Amino acid sequence: MTAHAEETDRTVGPTVSGYGLSYAITSLLSALLVVLKESNQAVHDLLVAITGHHWITHGLLVVILFVVLGAVLARRDTGMGGTALITTVVGATIVSGLIIAGYFIL
Amino acid sequence: MSKELILMMHPTFGVLAVIASVWVFVEALNAREANAGRLRSASVLTAILMWLTYIVGGYWYVVFYGADKAIIKAGPWPFAHGFFMETKEHVFLMLLLLATFLPIAAWGDIVKNRMTRNLVLWASALVVLMGLAMEGAGAIVSMGVKVALLAKQI
Repeated sequence: MTAHAEETDRTVGPTVSGYGLSYAITSLLSALLVVLKESNQAVHDLLVAITGHHWITHGLLVVILFVVLGAVLARRDTGMGGTALITTVVGATIVSGLIIAGYFIL
Repeated sequence: MSKELILMMHPTFGVLAVIASVWVFVEALNAREANAGRLRSASVLTAILMWLTYIVGGYWYVVFYGADKAIIKAGPWPFAHGFFMETKEHVFLMLLLLATFLPIAAWGDIVKNRMTRNLVLWASALVVLMGLAMEGAGAIVSMGVKVALLAKQI
């Protein structure tokens, strides 16, 4: 395998890594927003005031953040390796899920 | 359209999204030039179906769920709302983003780049697992309403 082929094999390209990283960051921030809005009435009320329902605002915020952050990171080319990106995506999914489930089970 | 029909459309689109994601996973296991187009079509289908699940389920949740929530909380299974519905409605937002990311990843070099293929495999597998968890949580929420109404009759 040539050096170029090895490099291609290790990275996944700027668009994929940018949006992959954006997914991981947005998921974690979304989980933290769940804890924040459920434990702070003022934050909850602010989310309600924006669209009429906290969950609609929450959904809009995460979709906008995912798209914008993904576009920014894709242009910058994070240079993140494929294995690191997969670990980040899977890890963020597990941690975010545990934060949300953990908050409501306690 | 009746609210019952809207409610049934939500898990139906969800199951179809899970099946489409299984399709992506299987295509990614054998990714070649010959099936790359099919894999990408399946990934777009997964994202579209997940967005339909979100829009239909979201409409039902915002407009109609309040009455069911009150019934569940007054019944013998209040955890059906307190844990399962609360967790489901928020974890779903991650699932929506992951399903949206799937076609972006599938448009990478899935044939020659092993890491891109592995990423598509992981992302599609997570969509399947989270989708099944959503279906299970939805079933528990429905059961929460049912046991509450049954308890009222006794």
